[in-house]
Amino acid sequence: MADTISFLLDGKVQIIDFSRQSHLKPTTTVLQYLRDLPGHKGVKEGCAEGDCGACTVVLAEPDKEGGLSYKAVNSCLLFLPKLHGKQLITVENLQDGNGNLHPLQKTLAEQNGSQCGFCTPGIVMSLFGHYKSGASAERDEIEDTLSGNLCRCTGYQPILESAQLTLTDVHSDHFSAEQEETRAVLNAISKDSLTLKTETQVYYLPTYLNELLRLRSKYPQALLVNGSTDAALRVTKNHELLPAIIDSSNVRELKEVQASGGKLRFGSGVTINELLELTKERFPAVSKMCKTFGSKQIRHLATVGGNLGSASPIGDLAPVFLACDARITVQSVNGLRKIRMNDFITGYRQTALRPDEIIRSVELPLIKPSVLIGAYKISKRYDLDIATVSAGFRVELDGDEIVQNCIAAYGGMAAVTSRAIKAESFLNGKKWKRETVEQTLPLIRESFTPISDARSGAEYRSVVAGNLLLKFYLDTQNK
Amino acid sequence: MIPSNMHQSAYKHVSGASVYVDDIPVQDQMLTGFVVYSPHAHAKIVSFDLSKAQALPGVLAVLSAADIPGENNLGPIVHDEPCLAENEVSFVGQAVFLIAAEDEETARAAADLIYVEYKTLPALISLEQAMAQNSLMGPKRTIKRGDADKALAEAPHIVKGRFKSGAQEHWYLETQTALCLPGEDDELFIHSSTQNPSEVQAVVAEALNIARNAVTVETRRMGGAFGGKETQAHHVASWAALLAQKTKRPVKIRLFRDDDQIMTGKRHPFIIDYEAGFDDQGMLLALKVEQNADGGAATDLSFAILERAMFHAENAYYIPHVSITGRVWKTNLPSNTAFRGFGGPQGIAAMEEIIDRIARFLKKDAAEIRQKNFYQLDKNNTAPYGQVITNNNLELIYNRLTDSSGYFEQRREVNGFNAQNEFAKQGLALMPVKFGISFTTSFLNQAGALVNVYQDGTVLVNHGGTEMGQGLHTKIRQIAALEFGIPLESVIVSATNTSKVPNTSATAASSGTDLNGMAVKNAVERLKFRIAFQLAQYFNEKYGVESTLDSHVMFKNGAVFDATDAARTVSFKEAVQICYFRQLPLSATGFYRTPDIYFDREKGAGHPFYYYAYGMAVSKVEVDLLTGNHKLLRSDILHDVGDSINPDIDRGQIEGAFVQGLGWCTTEECKWDEQGNLLNHSPDTYKIPTIRDIPRDFRVALLKDVPNPGTIRQSKAVGEPPFMLGISVWLAIKDALSAVAAHQLEPELNLPATNEAILLSIENLRRRQSEHI
Ligand SMILES: Cc1cc2nc3c(=O)[nH]c(=O)nc-3n(C[C@H](O)[C@H](O)[C@H](O)COP(=O)(O)OP(=O)(O)OC[C@H]3O[C@@H](n4cnc5c(N)ncnc54)[C@H](O)[C@@H]3O)c2cc1C
Ligand code: FES
Ligand code: FES
Repeated sequence: MADTISFLLDGKVQIIDFSRQSHLKPTTTVLQYLRDLPGHKGVKEGCAEGDCGACTVVLAEPDKEGGLSYKAVNSCLLFLPKLHGKQLITVENLQDGNGNLHPLQKTLAEQNGSQCGFCTPGIVMSLFGHYKSGASAERDEIEDTLSGNLCRCTGYQPILESAQLTLTDVHSDHFSAEQEETRAVLNAISKDSLTLKTETQVYYLPTYLNELLRLRSKYPQALLVNGSTDAALRVTKNHELLPAIIDSSNVRELKEVQASGGKLRFGSGVTINELLELTKERFPAVSKMCKTFGSKQIRHLATVGGNLGSASPIGDLAPVFLACDARITVQSVNGLRKIRMNDFITGYRQTALRPDEIIRSVELPLIKPSVLIGAYKISKRYDLDIATVSAGFRVELDGDEIVQNCIAAYGGMAAVTSRAIKAESFLNGKKWKRETVEQTLPLIRESFTPISDARSGAEYRSVVAGNLLLKFYLDTQNK
Repeated sequence: MIPSNMHQSAYKHVSGASVYVDDIPVQDQMLTGFVVYSPHAHAKIVSFDLSKAQALPGVLAVLSAADIPGENNLGPIVHDEPCLAENEVSFVGQAVFLIAAEDEETARAAADLIYVEYKTLPALISLEQAMAQNSLMGPKRTIKRGDADKALAEAPHIVKGRFKSGAQEHWYLETQTALCLPGEDDELFIHSSTQNPSEVQAVVAEALNIARNAVTVETRRMGGAFGGKETQAHHVASWAALLAQKTKRPVKIRLFRDDDQIMTGKRHPFIIDYEAGFDDQGMLLALKVEQNADGGAATDLSFAILERAMFHAENAYYIPHVSITGRVWKTNLPSNTAFRGFGGPQGIAAMEEIIDRIARFLKKDAAEIRQKNFYQLDKNNTAPYGQVITNNNLELIYNRLTDSSGYFEQRREVNGFNAQNEFAKQGLALMPVKFGISFTTSFLNQAGALVNVYQDGTVLVNHGGTEMGQGLHTKIRQIAALEFGIPLESVIVSATNTSKVPNTSATAASSGTDLNGMAVKNAVERLKFRIAFQLAQYFNEKYGVESTLDSHVMFKNGAVFDATDAARTVSFKEAVQICYFRQLPLSATGFYRTPDIYFDREKGAGHPFYYYAYGMAVSKVEVDLLTGNHKLLRSDILHDVGDSINPDIDRGQIEGAFVQGLGWCTTEECKWDEQGNLLNHSPDTYKIPTIRDIPRDFRVALLKDVPNPGTIRQSKAVGEPPFMLGISVWLAIKDALSAVAAHQLEPELNLPATNEAILLSIENLRRRQSEHI
């Protein structure tokens, strides 16, 4: 096993040997690494927690179509080993060999898209990621693209206008010209599993599922990560030293997707952004939850496995997965198990996983036409905000519009994602109409004793939790 | 070449080449400065032991208040804010110890080794508590005209209520940062992200017990400031300086985001009790307001902020009988500080609530009530503090904006929508802002500049203002180039530096261009005067005819010439060289002080403002009655910037300020727990607007053809006034809520109007409605 990582930056393959470079650790973030280099001060720290976008960089890697895929990500949440085999692009790399600004830089400047300039490199990189991935100039897409970039000066209007201008006129740039060469260089970097060791840390980056499972069973204490958007905060915010990490993000088997007969099965390594696309047609409620999940940058990194694995009471996928009656496949060296979503989360940040198991995949069963599913997320701000309350609903209606198999699952109302059982049983067997729904609302409120915290008071949580069911009802009538 | 109107750093910004304090390259000698702060809102420091921390390898200094050689103070006006807490801490986040270490990790480890014993004391962690316990920061202030009590007693109708607004975190993208480089003897060079280099210099000199001439403070640019770096950049600069003085090594302190949010002050929360009398037509007869501001633990700028809130208590409306009382209260929270608008937003929001309530009471359109009560041109044009309001553009803006926004048509559409929708309501609001321009502390209205002309015809400009993104340097550069008649490329405006222009005022109160632009113009004029004098001589000698007078010499299109004789012309560069060889000084200082402003605090009367800036907005929202979420469908703004020096930059200021204002009004909320810990201490829970929160349809226009007499190039200040237009969003939300109970009940909705506040307000309306029936 190799113990160095290799990646492309500034046109050169950079090699980091953690056993030698004592100031770098495997959990050093890409942001920290870049800011210590003389030529990449354009990458800024605004929060070190994924919430401002000032640190945005783009990662490129070979895709299946013979090109490169470009993704804007938060460098403050990125551990160095995640660069392995990829091209790291920062704002300093966008100018061409003659020093000409990239068209989107030039337009942004000339449309007054920057004032103090501190957010600007991050904005440029988010737009660049979009520019290089089949960009569209639709306002909604630009908003998605910039959902993770805060600007306190401009009020965004000139940024929006400048993005609309550049994205309606996309050209090939020097990255397009260098594409073949870049692919070749990246493909030449060995994708073998890595074990990166320093005096205080060990970081495993396995390539194959069986290795991952073996590591998991051998080091159950090690922290398993995928996107590490959750895990990185332990380093950047809590200043923890994580002694042992198993990073599953290079395991291809965890990225597998199968769709057949209305069912959809996807690996735990599928990112939220990928899930958003996968579920658009058949599971729009899931797709809707993905759209408001973090920011574009977060969605590029965060995975399904990480979201379920963290078992947060305010994780966005659990309620809608409950409503979809999702099945979780877990795996260890000893084999596979299937767990219904309903039984998967067992307590505050606890799951039914055994210490040697990982989440392998999730299956969304076929949704019959008689089944109605809805999902809602309430947060103070639409984009890049954690849910105050989230909900996943399911009702099955027979020919007489009588409700069966109702599920009303909530996040943010208790220490775990929970169902309003009283409300569900009240609705079952009753007609799906406004009166019945309104009679159910008090039962939902009674089902929970939510807390007051930084996001909202308990009363709001109670009131809105009930109202969401009504909203769901109204949405089913507006179809 | 940079297009003429572009921000002069724009190309650097987009390519990541702009240098902020944290980007300045320093040698390996540099140490990381680290601040250990109070975990208690109020406590006695019983004892502490720094020895273990000091003994940790890699730690160069650990300091407490006892190690401060000079005055232990950061307070800019009242010296009531210790640099490091001594004996007692008075808010969570107050600095107690400083550490200088080889790196951050070592500094953190050292912090863990500090032993402190605190004995907690009772704390006041809200404005309500402070008011209940009579914890006044200082004497109350009053402004009065006529007899408000009597007029209220006689008024046909009265509205009475309490308005509350919350704290707002500045959330500049670049957190507070300073880098201090020790030099020879006592000398220190400080790179500071500050709006106020001269005051940083003063505070540092006093704390370190050295003379001001030993301290140089330089500010290239800030990554946003918004008032948050007017006084509170002093803190990190002083701490870094103390550590640098002690260790004789460069020290940098950059606050982590959470620490910045926890340690620094915010926009003042206000509680305003009001009572207004009016007649059947909605004409205001009397106003009585009691404003209460949460000053936090120290004075900082609180009284100036209160004063501005009081000066704006009537916003754009003439009211015959007025009584305004203001108080600042002391709490155990970080000292609240300057923030764009500086008290204006709070004062104005309360007034606008009054107007809306009058309109709802009389069942009239609020825009009409507003227009009726506007200050007029030749009568009813005196502010409660006695200043006559001249060049009033309110009516003009109102007419143009109601027209361009189709206000009355939008009103009909909103009514139509509301009649048809049970679970969503739309709301519409028009509101004006009239904002007084000048520092209300009159002596601060001064500025200096230094202009150097070099033999190659290039010009270097320094002035007292700082660049925080607002485009000040860009405008100053335009002014210098225009005045000299040379291309923009020949002029550079470089970093603000206390050794070039001394004793400057903060870049604040929207006054940056007004003051510094005039100072630069003054310096340029002095240089032009000298050059013209020499050039007249030169032409007369060269052509042998004494026909060129000094007054004939013009500067235009890169040339210096005799306006009466086309043959007598040289390039600007040649002119400069001629002057050089004739041994003329090619460097000049410039100075400006705003004329005719004064204010008597005791009497509450005077002429505190040089002029007023006006603007108006119309906003339309749609509220989801089930969730309390709202969408901002459209905002139209018409704003008065006089003759704009740079329309693009001015538009940027308006859009940016408006969006910041709507953040204050909607999603930005600070909450503290009972121990005085800030709950929203990171962007995870503190939510400023994102790109999706701006108006779906956003139309901003500058008022045309209304030059402002007596200012630089007849322009107007623009930094703060449009912030207040964000209030239109709150008013529109209230208008939508009012539709819930068919405009029969007054919705209760304070600031910020989060989705939580909105939904609970709807619940409250429904409760009252069912009680009514
Ligand atoms: C700025 C920001 C915004 C966010 N916004 C949202 C949001 O809107 N909604 C939301 O729900 N969450 C949000 N999150 C939280 C987080 O991004 C998500 O929970 C995400 O899905 C985690 O995925 P990951 O791959 O990054 O997880 P990681 O950080 O890699 O892991 C998280 C946890 O899951 C476990 N885990 C990972 N993979 C597996 C596996 N295959 N099997 C078993 N356990 C596993 C890990 O051991 C770890 O405990 C946000 C986080 C940040 C920093
Ligand atoms: S620094 Fe704010 S998102 Fe990374
Ligand atoms: S330009 Fe200042 S934060 Fe965006």
